[in-house]
Amino acid sequence: MKGFLGTAVRPQLLVLLVAGVALALLVSANRFFAFVVGITMISIMWAAGMNLLTGYTGLVSLAYAGIAGISAYGTVGLVMRFGWSFWLAMPVAATGAAVVGVLLGLPSLRLKGFYFALSSLVIQTVLSLGFVYFVNLTNGDTGISQIPPPDIPLAGASFHGAAFDLLLTCAAWLSLVAAWAVTHSPFGRRLVAIREDEVLAEAIGIDVMRNKMLVFFVGSLFAGVGGALYATYVGFASPRSFDLLSSLSIWLMVAFGGRGTLMGPIIGALVLAPIPFMLQQYDTLKDVIYGALIIAVIVLMPGGVYGALLTCFRKAPAIRRRLLKHGGIVANDGSLRRS
Amino acid sequence: MTALFVARDLCKRFGGVHALRNVDVVQRAGETLGMIGPNGSGKTSFVNAVTGELSLDSGKVDFAARDITGLRPHKVAGAGLARTFQAVRLFSRLSVRANLETAMLALGDKAHRLDAAERADVLDWLELDSRLDAEAGSLTLFEQRRLELAVRLMLRPQLIMLDEPVGGLAPGEIRAMMQILNDLKARCSIFVIEHTMRVIRELADRVIVLITGEKVADGPPVEILKNQRVIEQYLGTAHA
Amino acid sequence: MTTSAILLIAISVITTGLVLGVIFSLVAAGVTIVYGSIWLPNAANGQFFLTAALICWSFATWLAVPIWVAALLTLAVSLPISYLLEATLIRRFYDVPDRNIAYFVVTLGVTQILSGIFSVTYGRWSDQFNLPPMIGGVTFIGPFPMTNNRIFVLAAATVLLALLFAMLRFHPYGRALRAVFQNREAAALRGVNVRAIYRLSFALGMLSIFAGGILYGMAYSFDLTVAWTMAVTAFAIMIVGGPGSVLGAVVVGMVFGFTQAGVSIFTNPTLATFSYLAAMLVILLIKPSGLFSR
Repeated sequence: MKGFLGTAVRPQLLVLLVAGVALALLVSANRFFAFVVGITMISIMWAAGMNLLTGYTGLVSLAYAGIAGISAYGTVGLVMRFGWSFWLAMPVAATGAAVVGVLLGLPSLRLKGFYFALSSLVIQTVLSLGFVYFVNLTNGDTGISQIPPPDIPLAGASFHGAAFDLLLTCAAWLSLVAAWAVTHSPFGRRLVAIREDEVLAEAIGIDVMRNKMLVFFVGSLFAGVGGALYATYVGFASPRSFDLLSSLSIWLMVAFGGRGTLMGPIIGALVLAPIPFMLQQYDTLKDVIYGALIIAVIVLMPGGVYGALLTCFRKAPAIRRRLLKHGGIVANDGSLRRS
Repeated sequence: MTALFVARDLCKRFGGVHALRNVDVVQRAGETLGMIGPNGSGKTSFVNAVTGELSLDSGKVDFAARDITGLRPHKVAGAGLARTFQAVRLFSRLSVRANLETAMLALGDKAHRLDAAERADVLDWLELDSRLDAEAGSLTLFEQRRLELAVRLMLRPQLIMLDEPVGGLAPGEIRAMMQILNDLKARCSIFVIEHTMRVIRELADRVIVLITGEKVADGPPVEILKNQRVIEQYLGTAHA
Repeated sequence: MTTSAILLIAISVITTGLVLGVIFSLVAAGVTIVYGSIWLPNAANGQFFLTAALICWSFATWLAVPIWVAALLTLAVSLPISYLLEATLIRRFYDVPDRNIAYFVVTLGVTQILSGIFSVTYGRWSDQFNLPPMIGGVTFIGPFPMTNNRIFVLAAATVLLALLFAMLRFHPYGRALRAVFQNREAAALRGVNVRAIYRLSFALGMLSIFAGGILYGMAYSFDLTVAWTMAVTAFAIMIVGGPGSVLGAVVVGMVFGFTQAGVSIFTNPTLATFSYLAAMLVILLIKPSGLFSR
């Protein structure tokens, strides 16, 4: 960690923190906008985790929201039924969800590309059905309402209003820092190698299975922490919040923003998370819009918004050096060769 | 000389096809072994089976006095046995530098890694030091083959199995590559698979001939060239 | 239970199983052909299945044409739809190495779009949809009454499946298709126009799915949820049967058809869907190439 701490005070990360806090404070007066910002912060955390799985390792996991749901229901159960503090319940539930994530992912580690995505879709479907079916644990389709917000330890109060918004901002920022730390570590390099050519990676000594399990665990932690925060922020949890469409929208945030980059998930979350709120009564348009964006991202912009921006500026030497230096940034396929 | 690599009685079937049929191979440290055979004779299956890409039906593989039978490729690489692929395989979208750094990270044990001087030496010898920031996919084929070697050397291998290392190269490049491979012998033992005798003859101390999965001959190149059966079944076409 | 009750249930399950089985097989065959040749896993197959039934319903209800005309018109409509999709979305990936995952996600997007469109249109107009019967009347199989309409559907689907088989086996296009299945490069070297085959496969696959949807709509009343159920079922059949294997699609399709029929009599039909998911997962983890792989 020594090297990390030395470079931790990287300008971008500080700027992001300041920007995030400023945003939260700016909108705190208008509770509607504050809520949108709050959900966006949670989405940033989710997208950061999904980015590790999809952007850096190349795995499309459609069970991501289901894992978040396990943590959410777990946290809610521990807090509401056993009176635990949120700060004890959340780590326990998130870790539990991460373990489940690894166990569920374990058998499919050997599957490639589409087959892995398909098995993750099956797992998500099973989880969704489970959330509806085990009514005594989850209250089924009706959902659990009046979920209390996290307590402020030792203060006898809870996080409300602007304080909660700031909490979420800090949580989002911490998740970005964590993601950054992972991707700039040897582990992150190995993930990129696995994404680029799994067979070659294994041939040069990378334990592909172990690294995949590890990224499953870490990614699921992001999902789980986000899930717990989501349930307590919204005050309501139902299977609908953690279904296939939810997984797809988190994937979309990463793909749209730019896979395998730091800014990608942020851009994706900022643009896409507010959409359901902006649509209010045109709720069903959401399906069509997401569908269209999913197609657009695959067909038009494989590198996402960030990738497209980089391609525009790819001739700038500073950008070229940056793109090649860490090898972790993916612009459009072959865009560096096209001049 | 001690036995570095011992493969005993390797068998592998794909459905009805015998890819490997009771193949025995012994390589001593410092010895250069070659393997030839027509296309589809099992040469690549041999490498895949030994390095764990492919599961064996039966047989045993020892490397540096360790039983590596059935180990996954990353463990085999960690034991000191590296291999290249028939078609060039690199992390094409990453830079040359990133390719090398990834290989270095693969060996978890930091003490094992090459130090800066050793790395510089490898890069200088393979003439890659001017190309460090280039995207690996943009290199010429010859440069890519050299990069493949450099990547393997980052792993401090005792043996590198090279699957058709001159495939696709122009005649001048083939000569240069053969010189490199000869120099490579000073750094580690090599096992070369080719389907023409021309390359093997100059590099190998001993040649193994594989035809439809069976070992048909095993001896110095001079002997192989005189072997009746080999000539009949194979060399007629292979002398090209 | 009395013997006649058991007999009734048995015949009911068998007949329903047959009808569902052939329809499942038809749709799954369409899905597996497209995956086997183009490497396109069509996650939107359920929505297309529903589209066919809805379009047929629309023709029958709004244009007031006889049902057989509506059916034929619907099948005809599938062709421009196939062409449009192929030209805009599918074609661009033909030479991409890992296109199956790209296609999978793209078709998931298409699923979302269609599902959204249907819920604000057809979803608002009706909860359930019914197609007027092709043939009236009832035939008794022992004690069991079966509508002639359903017998017609069974016969039609069987004929279509047989035609599909025959075409793949004997027609030059079918042979070319199987050559492309096996080895695209080798087929190209033998003079097969691979891209044309791709286009034709996609159209054929859609036609198959549409036919399945129309026949299903004729045999049973349906609602928007059949899209999801059919998608899961078809994918499960394809994976369990072996991607690219039409024989596998038919065998597993029939098995699933009978499973659905049997389960629906005794308990919640969703359980059947659940079992397909389980079967698919098991095969993915143990033998991903499926039961009838080449």
